[in-house]
Amino acid sequence: MAELAWLIPILPLASFVFISLAGQTVKGDGDRVGVAAVGASLILSILVFVDVLDGARVSADFAWAFFGGTQLRLGYQVDPLTATMLVVVTLISFLVHVYSLGYMHGDVRYKRYYAILSLFTASMLGLVLADNLLFLFAFWELIGLCSFLLIGHWYEKRDVGFAALKAFLTTRVGDIGMLVGIMLVFFHARSFQFDAIAEVIASGQWVGPALAAAAVLLFAGAVGKSAQFPLHVWLPDAMAGPTSVSALIHAATLVAAGVYLVARSYAVFSAAPEALATVAWVGGITALFAASIALVMEDIKKVLAYSTVSQLGFMMVGLGVGGFTAGVFHLVTHAVFKALLFLASGSVIHGVDTQNMHEMGGLRKKMPVTFWTWAIGSAALAGIYPLAGFWSKDEILLSVYEGQHTALFWILVIAATLTAFYITRATLLTFFGEPRDRRRYEHAHESPATMTVPLVILAALAVVLGFANSPYSGYWFARFVYFDHPHVPEAAGFVLFWATASWVVGVGLAVLVYGFGLISRRAVIDNLRPVWVLLKNKYYFDELYYLVFVRGTVALARIVGWFDRVVVDGVVNLAGYGTAKLSRATGEFDRDVIDGAVNGIAALFKAGGAVLRRLQTGYVQSYVLALFLTVVVGLLVFAIG
Amino acid sequence: MTVTDWVFLAIALVTLFSAYRVVTTHKIMHAALWLGLTFVGVAGIFLLLGADFLAAAQVLVYVGAITTIIIFGIMLSSVEDLRGESFDNVWKRLSSRLTSSRRGIWPLLAAVGLAAAMVIVVSRGQWPASPHAPALDTPRLLGEALFTRFVIPFEAASIVLLVALIGAIALALKEERTE
Amino acid sequence: MTLSLPVVLGVGAIMFGLGVYGALTQTNAIRVLMCIELVLNSVNINLVAFSRFTADQALGQIFAVFVMTVAAAEAAVGLAIILMIARRKTQIDIDQINLLKW
Repeated sequence: MAELAWLIPILPLASFVFISLAGQTVKGDGDRVGVAAVGASLILSILVFVDVLDGARVSADFAWAFFGGTQLRLGYQVDPLTATMLVVVTLISFLVHVYSLGYMHGDVRYKRYYAILSLFTASMLGLVLADNLLFLFAFWELIGLCSFLLIGHWYEKRDVGFAALKAFLTTRVGDIGMLVGIMLVFFHARSFQFDAIAEVIASGQWVGPALAAAAVLLFAGAVGKSAQFPLHVWLPDAMAGPTSVSALIHAATLVAAGVYLVARSYAVFSAAPEALATVAWVGGITALFAASIALVMEDIKKVLAYSTVSQLGFMMVGLGVGGFTAGVFHLVTHAVFKALLFLASGSVIHGVDTQNMHEMGGLRKKMPVTFWTWAIGSAALAGIYPLAGFWSKDEILLSVYEGQHTALFWILVIAATLTAFYITRATLLTFFGEPRDRRRYEHAHESPATMTVPLVILAALAVVLGFANSPYSGYWFARFVYFDHPHVPEAAGFVLFWATASWVVGVGLAVLVYGFGLISRRAVIDNLRPVWVLLKNKYYFDELYYLVFVRGTVALARIVGWFDRVVVDGVVNLAGYGTAKLSRATGEFDRDVIDGAVNGIAALFKAGGAVLRRLQTGYVQSYVLALFLTVVVGLLVFAIG
Repeated sequence: MTVTDWVFLAIALVTLFSAYRVVTTHKIMHAALWLGLTFVGVAGIFLLLGADFLAAAQVLVYVGAITTIIIFGIMLSSVEDLRGESFDNVWKRLSSRLTSSRRGIWPLLAAVGLAAAMVIVVSRGQWPASPHAPALDTPRLLGEALFTRFVIPFEAASIVLLVALIGAIALALKEERTE
Repeated sequence: MTLSLPVVLGVGAIMFGLGVYGALTQTNAIRVLMCIELVLNSVNINLVAFSRFTADQALGQIFAVFVMTVAAAEAAVGLAIILMIARRKTQIDIDQINLLKW
């Protein structure tokens, strides 16, 4: 079955082609075609996964282009990491496809939505299957494009268009670095193939700063895609897109691509400790500061967005400290419970038609399924035993602890506490308490089955998935997906205590503030006003970037414009003036000398013709006479000579 | 001097004299008749040279056909010329020709020069002294040659004749139609 | 003086010269045509004479036959042209036919 892995991205691609070209010819604009294609991909992925479990490994490629002695090969490979990602991507994508049947029902661009969704799925699967950096980069850009298109789905709204642009341009900053990194890798390894690169590094032919530089540059791409500090600014704005898109792209798959990139090219990273440290620290800073912003957000999707940024930071830390399995496992569990949270929030938004949590409240009675699935998802995110988040977060903390990164450890513990706090806050604000907006509350209703069934499935997975890498399964996942050799961290009571303490403190504080009101929100805000303002404004990153990049660009443009106007235009005008003068002189020369010469020659021929035409008498006999005389002369010469 | 030589001499003189008259006689109809005599003389020379068939053809084609159509042509076109020019003195005419602004002495020079050049070439050449035995059956000889070695030129000549025939008819008819 | 080749060729040469002179001086187109026939005949005399003095007697005579053919064609077409001119100009003085001029 693993040999058929190439079919997995082809099916959604075919669905994309069909929907965009002929979607209108079938019922529902081809939405069911998309669902069926991704469903088939899901089944195939599971079959491939099972095959890979049995030890199957596939790698196939073909020569695509030749440059001198180097050839570019395109191909795909299936190993445990790929197989896992295939299942995650197709599963979330399939559920989102189903969910969208209800969520996007009656949308103005329903057909376009499903077409792009299929294209995104195909590209993401291609990215996961790619066996070389170049191919991966192509899909990398494709998913970026799909993200742009889907964020801008409702582009009539001005902000939505800008959000899409922002996402595209911000990730592009990272992509430049990534491209340079890929070139650097190719320059040294003479290949784009992951296994070939790994071989070159393993053989010790490539060491030194260039390797670290290449790794850091590759990581720049991951920073952009996975919305890590300082390129995180696009992800919260990307929430302007449909919530189903946020669930698929901005929680589970696209943003995980950065983590996947680091995991996939881990050979490069692991050989450069500086690069690993960079990854870990960037991840740690992101995890903490994004979680802190999530504390004060009022938009339910913004909370989830910053939560996603924060959790991606967790994964980066896991990879950065050498916990390859931990990072990837958190990627998988996070994909499930964050997609669940997004879809649940979508269900809420669908019901009350607002994203502001202060306009919600008390919705648990109106939307029981949504509430319970949300509750499971948020518990998983908070890291409550025995849900998925507990196991994966615990794993990361363990890796950090084992690596003796004390500072990072405490950063993560604080971030985990904040995580538990903000998600509890969101839960309480949304589903508990008194309805703050009566009209919306009355209007609220449970979502249709197409939306709730995916929620239930994801919730079930959020409960059981964590056991895949727990003592109860003998750390099965760690023995399946690993780098170099399987590594199962030893459970440490210290870590377990702080992990548990973090969620207990976080949840407890949130309940005290938002549940029972024992601690006054107002008082906290008043006492910590500078911090609150700072968080509320997201550390002023948007403003900073506006000031530095937008205003900077404008200022630069103004300077360049002035230079253009005064210096360049001056030179151009001078040159133009000189040219005009010169051409006038040339024109005179032309008229008097060249034309004179031409006319003179013409006059010469005219005069000659006037003389010579006398010879053309028109009398045949004259001509014949000339002929015969010539013959006579010729004969005489011949006869005498 | 054998009899043949005498006969040749006589025929040659007649031929050349009639050719001279073709050029010099002032009446065009006379010129045509002198031309006929020239053709007959040439036929005689052919006979003396043992070309029996060619002599017969010469009489048939030139005397019988060409001279006749030339006479027809004269009668159809040159009615004024039939009477000839006013003076009949050869020298007067020659001098008038030689002093004519356009022709002058040059045509005479060209003609004499060509003839002289040919005579010079002939006199300097190494020629076989005695003739080969004349072929007895020249029609057969020519016929075989025409249909074997020269069949392609023969066919080409046929086409030339056909084209000339059609062309002549077309030229003659054209005016009839427009009138 | 026997019937030798140079003598016959000399007869041909004289006849040729007469023909050329006539062709160059005559003003009547039909006379020019007649003179051209003279030239062609002189050539024929030469050809037949050559054939008499070579082993392959057919060769020269065949040439003469072809010359006759061409002469016949020339006479026919030439006269047709002269007739055309006569119809248009009522006379055939070639001094008045000078269209071949600049």
